[in-house]
Amino acid sequence: MKRYLTLFIATFSSLLSISQVLPEIELGVKGVVSANIGINSAGVSSAVSDFSDSQILLGFRQKLYNKWRGQMVFGMQFPDADSDLGQIFYNHVFIQIEDQKNIIKIGRSSTRTILNEFPTLRDDDALYFNYSLNPFSIGSNTQDNQYGNVIEYTRIFAQRYWLSFHGENFSNLSKPENFELNSFGFAFLYIVPESQRWNREVLQRLGFSYNNYVSDDAGYEGFDRYLKNILGTVTLNLLPDPVHLIDFKFQGIYNIGLAGVDSVKSYSDYVRTPSMATFATLRYLYRKLERPLLQLSVGVGFKSFDLLPDSKQGILISNVFYRIGENFDIGFQYRYTQNSAELADIFPASAHRFQFSFVYSVNQIFNKHFDDRNSILNLEHKYIN
Amino acid sequence: MKRKDFLRYSAMGMAGLAMFPANVFSKESIRANQTLFPERLPYTKAGEWKEFEVSIAIAIQELAPAMKIHTLAFNGQVPGPEIRVKAGDKVRVIFKNESELNHTIHWHGIYVPWRMDGVPYVTQMPVMPGKEFVYEFIAEPYGTHFYHCHWGTLLHMQSGMFGSVIIEEDEDPVMKQFPYEREYTLIYSAHDVNFIREELNGMLERMKERSYLMKNGRFDPERFNLFDTKEELLAAIDNGYQPPYLFNRRSSAQLPVPNWFTVNGKSYPSTPNLYIKSGENIRVRLINAGTENHHLHLHGHDFWMVCDDGVPLPQPWQRNTVSLSPGKTYDIIIEGKNRGIWTFHDHDTRRVTNNGLYPGGNLLALIYEDLPVEERMVSSIGKMKMQEGRSMNLLPKVALDE
Repeated sequence: MKRYLTLFIATFSSLLSISQVLPEIELGVKGVVSANIGINSAGVSSAVSDFSDSQILLGFRQKLYNKWRGQMVFGMQFPDADSDLGQIFYNHVFIQIEDQKNIIKIGRSSTRTILNEFPTLRDDDALYFNYSLNPFSIGSNTQDNQYGNVIEYTRIFAQRYWLSFHGENFSNLSKPENFELNSFGFAFLYIVPESQRWNREVLQRLGFSYNNYVSDDAGYEGFDRYLKNILGTVTLNLLPDPVHLIDFKFQGIYNIGLAGVDSVKSYSDYVRTPSMATFATLRYLYRKLERPLLQLSVGVGFKSFDLLPDSKQGILISNVFYRIGENFDIGFQYRYTQNSAELADIFPASAHRFQFSFVYSVNQIFNKHFDDRNSILNLEHKYIN
Repeated sequence: MKRKDFLRYSAMGMAGLAMFPANVFSKESIRANQTLFPERLPYTKAGEWKEFEVSIAIAIQELAPAMKIHTLAFNGQVPGPEIRVKAGDKVRVIFKNESELNHTIHWHGIYVPWRMDGVPYVTQMPVMPGKEFVYEFIAEPYGTHFYHCHWGTLLHMQSGMFGSVIIEEDEDPVMKQFPYEREYTLIYSAHDVNFIREELNGMLERMKERSYLMKNGRFDPERFNLFDTKEELLAAIDNGYQPPYLFNRRSSAQLPVPNWFTVNGKSYPSTPNLYIKSGENIRVRLINAGTENHHLHLHGHDFWMVCDDGVPLPQPWQRNTVSLSPGKTYDIIIEGKNRGIWTFHDHDTRRVTNNGLYPGGNLLALIYEDLPVEERMVSSIGKMKMQEGRSMNLLPKVALDE
C-alpha cells in the first residue's frame, strides 16, 4: 500500500506540471590509460592498454527548504580485468545532505580505509601499504577495500576539524546477501581547505581513525570479534611555495589483528594477523602560469608483522607527470615491490612494474548557483547559506 | 477571533512592517526609507582641501529579504557613500584598500587630472591589498556623476563598487527652473550573483598566490599576465606563452547574465520609494552603474528630464520613460500633480524580476504622502473570501508572486 501511495504522489506531482528547480549538475571524469610492463620471478608480462581506475561521476545537488543541501551522486568505475567485478563497478551511489557543519551520507561510496591522498598513478597502486584492508575480501580486487555501503555522519568544527562516525557494509563474498553493518569506526582530521593552500601553512593535514571490522570468523566472542585498525596521517608542506611546492605525506596503519592468527598462508591470514604498515611520499610540484606543469614524486612503504618477525613487505614507487594541456597529463611510473619468503604463498618475492600513461581528469559543475563550504568567501568572509 | 490567531496575525503584520511597511505613510516608514539612499560622506578640511576617506572591503549585502551575497563595499555600504561637493572645491579622497584584491577608483564624468583617472596600468598602478592611494582633483563639472572601481571592472562594479558624486553650484540651474526641496539619488545596477561568487572566489585565490610572490619580489610577466609593451607580449607568445583568454587556458567563455537588478543595492521589495506631496517638485538623480539598459517608466505622470550626464539641458524634455544606458546619468524632475501610489520601474520587465520571478528587481513606487486615508483602500475585492482575520483592503501589499 505504501509503495502505491508513493507512486501516486509522484504521479500527482508530475500531473500538476510544477516547475522544478534545476539542480547543480556535477560531472567528474577521470581517464587513466597506461601501457604496463611487469617483471617478476614468474617472468615478463605486459598490458597494451590498462584503463582500470577510469571512472565517471555524475552528481546532482540543490538547496533544501532549510539551511541544508541535498546531493545524489552516481559513479561508475572500470575495475581491473581480473577483479571478479565485471566490466563496470558502481563505486558511488549515494545521497548526502549537509549544512555548514554537518554531513550525513548514506549509500555506496568511498570508505574511511585511507586518510590521505597520495601522488600515485592509480589510487590503489600502494594498496597493501596505504589502505586498511577489508578482512571479508578474498583479495581478488582492490575495490573491496576502497568502497563499501556506508552510513556516515561528519561534524565540522572551526572549519578545519572533521569528526566522522561511520559504519560500513563491506563486500563479503562469503555472504553476498548480507547487507548488515560489518564495520564501524570514527575518524578525526585536521584539514586545511584546498582554497586556502596559498596561506602557506606547513601543516596541511593531521589525523587519525579507528576502524572496527566485525569478524564473522568462528571461535571469536565479545571484543575479540573485532578486527581493529588504527590509522594516523600527516601532510606537511615542506616548501609551501606557489611555484615550487614540496610536500610530504605519511600514513601509518596498525592492524591489531585477531588473536591466534600467527601465520600468513592465505590472504585471509594476511589481513588478520597483527601488522604495521607505513607509507610516505615526497612530492615536488612545479606550477607555471598558476597551473600545475610538472610533478615528481617518490614514495616508500614498509609493512611488518608483529608475530612474524621475518615477514616483511616493501614498496618503492616513483612517478613523473607532465601537463600537456588543461587537465591532461602524460606520465611515467615505476613500482618495485619486495616481499619476504614467508609471504611467498600470496605475493611474488619481488616485482618491477613500468607504466607509461595518459591521464585526463575533468571536474565541472553546471548551473552552479550556490557556494561551497570551503570557498574563500565562505571561509574568510562569513558563511552564506 | 481566537486569542492565539490574533497573536499570530499580529506577528505576521509586524514581520510585514519590517520588510515593506504595512503603512507606507507613517513617519517611521518615511524615516526608514531615507536610509535606502546613499549616505553622504563627511569630510574634514585640510587647508583648502575637502578630505574624504574611502575604504573597500568584502561585506555581505542583503539584496532582498533572505537573499544575501558577498559584495565589495565602499565604507561597508552598497552603493558607496555619496561624495557631495561644490563646483570648484579641491577634493582629496584617501582610498584605503582593506581587501585582498587590487582596486582603483575611476571618477566617471569628472574632469580629473589624467593620473587621477583610476585606470590601472594606464593612469596609475593598481592599489594593492593593504595599500592606500590619494586622489586629488578640482570638482568640475556641475552635476550628477559617479565613481567606481576600474580594476576587474566587470566583476568589481556588479559586486558593489560604485557610488554617487554630486557637484553642486550655489545658483543651481535646475532648482532655479523647478524649485524643489527634496531630491533622491537612485543608482541602478545588475548582478549575475553566480558570476560574482565564482569570480570573487577565483580572484581571491589567485591573489593569495600573487601577493606572496610580489612581496618576495618574484614578479614574472607571464605568470601575472602583465607586459610592458605589446611587443613584449608578442615575443612571449612566440616563446610559448599562452594568454589566459584562450580556450586551453583559463577562459570559460561564459559572460555574466544578470539575474538580480538593484536600485541603491536593493531589489524589490527592499527598494527605496520616492515620497512626494501634491504640488511639490522632487529631483531624482538617475545613475546607471551596471551593465544593462534600463527603460525607466513612471506611471500616471510625465517628468522633466533636466540634466544629461550632469549637463543641464537648455530645454528640458517632457517624458514618461527614460532609457538609462550603462554609464549614463540623468536628472529628472517629478511634479506632484496626480496623487496616489505610482509604480516607477524598468519597462524592460526582465529587470523587474528576482532570479527570474516577477515582481522584483528595480521596481519602486512614487508615493504621495498626502494621499487621503479613504484612497488607500481597495474599492472592492468582490466575493473573494480571504483568510480569517486578515484585511486585504489596505494598499500597497508586498506581492512576491503575481
